[in-house]
Amino acid sequence: MKPYRWHITLGAFILLLSIPFPAAAKETLSADAIIEKANHVAYYQGKDGRAQVSMNITDSQGRKRQRRFTLLRRNVPSETQVDADQQFYVYFHRPADVNKTVFMVHKHVGKEDDRWLYLPALDLVKRIAASDERTSFVGSDFFYEDVSGRGIDEDRHTLIETTKNFYVLENHPKDPAEVEFESYKVWIHRKTFIPIKMSYFNKNKEIYRTYEALKVETIQGRPTVVKARMKDERGQSETVVDYRNVTYDIDLPDEIFTERYLRNPPKRYLR
Amino acid sequence: MKRILAHPLIVTALMVLTSIAFILVAGLPTLWPEQYPALNPIHVDTDPENMLPKDEATRVFHNAMKKQMSLYDMVVVGIVNDSHPDGVFNKASLAKVFELTEYAKTLRWPDPEDPDKQAGVVEIDLLALSTVDSMSQGGLGVVTFEWLMQNPPSTDAEALAIREKALRIPFLKGTLVSEDGKAVALYIPLTSKEMSHKVATALEAKVATFGGDERFHITGLPVAEDTFGVEMFVQMAISAPIAMVVIFFLMYFFFRRIVLIVGPMIVAMVSVIWTMGLLIATGNTIHIMSSMIPIFIMPIAVLDAIHILSEFFDRYDESKPRKETILAVMQTLFKPMLYTTLTTMAGFASLAFTPIPPVKVFGLFIAFGVGAAWFWTITFIPASIMLIPKRMLKGFGLKQEKSQTATPSLMTRLLASMGEITYRHPKLVIATTAILSVIAVYGFFQIRINDNPIKWFNASHPIRVADKVLNDHFGGTYMAYLSLEYDSETEGSEAYAERFTAALKARARSDEEDAFVPMMAEVSKEAIEEVKRLAGKAESEAALLDALDAYVNKKLDTVPFESAEAWEEVLFLIDLQRQQGQVFKQPEVLRFMSDLQDHLLSTGVVGKSNSLADVVKTVHRELFLGEAAAYRIPDSAGAVAQTLMTYQNSHRPQDLWHFVTPDYKTSSIWVQLKSGDNIDMARVVESVDEFIGNHPSDLPLKHRWFGLTYINVVWQEKMVSGMLNAFLGSFLIVLVMMIFLFRSITWGILSMIPLTVTIGLIYGVIGLIGKDYDMPVAVLSSLSLGLSVDYAIHFLARSRSLQQTEGNWEKAHRHVFGEPVRAIVRNAVVVGFGFLPLLAAPLVPYQTVGIFIAAILLTAGAATILILPALITMMQNWIFSEKQAVGQANTTLKGGLS
Repeated sequence: MKPYRWHITLGAFILLLSIPFPAAAKETLSADAIIEKANHVAYYQGKDGRAQVSMNITDSQGRKRQRRFTLLRRNVPSETQVDADQQFYVYFHRPADVNKTVFMVHKHVGKEDDRWLYLPALDLVKRIAASDERTSFVGSDFFYEDVSGRGIDEDRHTLIETTKNFYVLENHPKDPAEVEFESYKVWIHRKTFIPIKMSYFNKNKEIYRTYEALKVETIQGRPTVVKARMKDERGQSETVVDYRNVTYDIDLPDEIFTERYLRNPPKRYLR
Repeated sequence: MKRILAHPLIVTALMVLTSIAFILVAGLPTLWPEQYPALNPIHVDTDPENMLPKDEATRVFHNAMKKQMSLYDMVVVGIVNDSHPDGVFNKASLAKVFELTEYAKTLRWPDPEDPDKQAGVVEIDLLALSTVDSMSQGGLGVVTFEWLMQNPPSTDAEALAIREKALRIPFLKGTLVSEDGKAVALYIPLTSKEMSHKVATALEAKVATFGGDERFHITGLPVAEDTFGVEMFVQMAISAPIAMVVIFFLMYFFFRRIVLIVGPMIVAMVSVIWTMGLLIATGNTIHIMSSMIPIFIMPIAVLDAIHILSEFFDRYDESKPRKETILAVMQTLFKPMLYTTLTTMAGFASLAFTPIPPVKVFGLFIAFGVGAAWFWTITFIPASIMLIPKRMLKGFGLKQEKSQTATPSLMTRLLASMGEITYRHPKLVIATTAILSVIAVYGFFQIRINDNPIKWFNASHPIRVADKVLNDHFGGTYMAYLSLEYDSETEGSEAYAERFTAALKARARSDEEDAFVPMMAEVSKEAIEEVKRLAGKAESEAALLDALDAYVNKKLDTVPFESAEAWEEVLFLIDLQRQQGQVFKQPEVLRFMSDLQDHLLSTGVVGKSNSLADVVKTVHRELFLGEAAAYRIPDSAGAVAQTLMTYQNSHRPQDLWHFVTPDYKTSSIWVQLKSGDNIDMARVVESVDEFIGNHPSDLPLKHRWFGLTYINVVWQEKMVSGMLNAFLGSFLIVLVMMIFLFRSITWGILSMIPLTVTIGLIYGVIGLIGKDYDMPVAVLSSLSLGLSVDYAIHFLARSRSLQQTEGNWEKAHRHVFGEPVRAIVRNAVVVGFGFLPLLAAPLVPYQTVGIFIAAILLTAGAATILILPALITMMQNWIFSEKQAVGQANTTLKGGLS
């Protein structure tokens, strides 16, 4: 019997980090190559996947709220591109009064995504313009872009430091008017290519937002972040997200990522 | 006294040393706080909140709600452009607005109290065109969430598009963008109001670099307070010295000897130094009230000295030893000076009975200052007279002067004929008094109790100008908040456990295919066991749910995948239970709020209000194609919840928590008033009570106000009732002192008549001319009592003693209207005019105090020398028959003042 929640402790994770690199690994990777690998590990592992997600939002006054949803993700097969278009289906279980609410995304590389929202109590399917993806994801400290991934072509990446365990990259937006950050720094684990930490800087070069991976497990042979935190340094609120029951390659059919399935959720894939 | 006269230098040295000590104790920690941590530095307090004690319930609630709703004190910048037809909605103006907003975001500095934190602007709650979201229609049924002004517009047409979007959003219209679409505002929240000066100064400097036709009005309560603090010191720096100069010249006019006047001036200064030194050393703050202490002490401090000098002037004879003359003077004056000092102290000290801390401090410290003035008057003044070289007093004194001038002065003649009128036509005087009193009583009932801290500034002051401009354009800049709280009844965790158990059982039995969850029956059983176990222990329903929640979550860490879904289902049921208390998702509650807001608008004072209901309606409308008909509250709690979750998909999800707490049990409505007058706020409060009384909702909702506009009303109410108590208290104390002093109830009551008439007249006039009964007017009543009774003491004492020496009132009254009345007039003039320099103060309350105290003292002087002789004339047979008492009292009061 497999436990419902895996527990690989942070200690194990540190052990993972301390695996020495063989001399041969000292090949020099370009910044873009590192980012490509990290992007793959963070968003594209397997051909599809599922996770039961808990979001615990704690505001500056210590008040807690929880969101509980199932996340389905499918990579759109492509002959020409790797790690390109994807489909996301987010089905809410709790709070009880938003139960059955669905959020769906067709992520496109190089053009604007398509987004839908289904609000069962209003019996309303609504298309949402995705012109700005740096808005809060259902009131949490995560942005939509953090959930579906920021296009790697939107920033210029510079490798500023290579430490024993990490590649440290600085990333500047190609179109600064479109985003609220001036730059962000990311620490990418050299062996697994998991982004462990990201710090967002505002125009005054102050950190105002920090992402940290808190727990990593190897699932179906793939190193996977199962617990992460996004902290708003200005308002001192934070959101901790737990990914449970992560499963890769479950053969999600293309058709469930359509408007028809918003009102009739694909139950068997949501368990 | 003999010892004092023998060692005048020692007395002087003692006075100088103690004064230096007071200066050091207050000055050192102020200038070098680090070296003298044990001492209290000077601390300025301009916070109107401090009119209420820190632990006062309204204030505690205000601060708790501010924290709970993440509301901050704010600097408000209003930006108008009168020369452009679209106001600020043009490319150039909005570029400046954008730049100023970006600049405001950066105004943060390391917090001096906690180096890990920053103090200054709270960036995430800054409200400006470029920091808020717009939710609008993106065509083809698409809804768009975007920044309202992500970048400055590149054309005027884009600027107008921004305006159009903003005016569609009720929360922004009338708050961020003026209703006429011409002006915008920035609301800049601060970590603490102490930062306002730094922030406002930085903004001013930034604005100065702009140029162009836009005008930037920087205001908001913290800015007003800061400005107030500055002007308070201006008042102390200007008015107090002017008062010194005025008193100096008045005394010079009466005594013509600078060397004699210096003594009283020194006593006045020493009294001020002692009082302010003690005030600072004891950790009290310089507040609007306490900043008036110096100017109150100075005129009062010289009074007793004037008595001594007058008497000395009358008795001085160059040929006699000076020591003996002074001893005689002091013997005559000691008792009356003591009594007039005590009554004055009682009048001020009675302010300690008010529930307003700054007023208490004000009253008590002036009482102390008056006592100090008295002490140095009876010690230092005689000592200083001893120190004056003989040649400097050449030609001084009544005796010497009489030989030079023979004809009586104009004042002497005028007063004498006045005395005749009171003797010949006493009934006329009393009848006139009676008629005036009736009019005063009518006027008294016309009094309007009202105040408005913004109106403490002159009408031309930049703060007042900004206030007017912003209120012309926006929905009102005076904020008050109405909190609504769900007053839930508890049924107890045992009964609750039973209900929850039933819900679990029902879920386990559910055989609808759609609801099928494997292992549900088994898991329910286990959960029910746990509920039973917890029911006995949990203190409340919420605690029971929390404990069960923790239990299930722990379970989920270990249970096999097969039963996990059933456990998740239990969590779902827990959540359902929790949500039953989330009343502010209930459509009927939101509709009630919405109706209440409509009612608020009907008061005419409220320009606008914002609430959770507005948020829900706006989002609902945009979800349904932006159609006006969809601007409504949806029909189920779930629909409200889903609408709100959609709202939170914005750049500012935290905005929701300004209107409701995350448990949806407490909500607050932002009410924007066009006027900060307490009377208007009070009307709104009353109107809301009435509405809620007439529209009882099914759910028990407790309503309560907070916000500074409301706090002002609360302290005013306390002030009015507190002042009445203080006045009645000091009236009784002074009356008892008078009865004791005159050893006669009749004479005691008689002595209270002039001041009673005076205060009645003054407040009658306040009512008739429509001057609001505000903070300074309230304070004046009881302190004027202690001052104006002095005249009656002197008048009656001299009348009685002269009646005894002259044998009948007809002869005696002529003497009374000679020297004694002249002394009363002199005093009224010195003290009354001594307060007039307050008119030069930049703040309205000081001016009010100046005018009214002068009016009170001059009126009290006039009332004393008109009403009392008329009454004595009418009642002479009766009142002068109390022979024994009179004889006894006269020995103590002989001489009185002159």
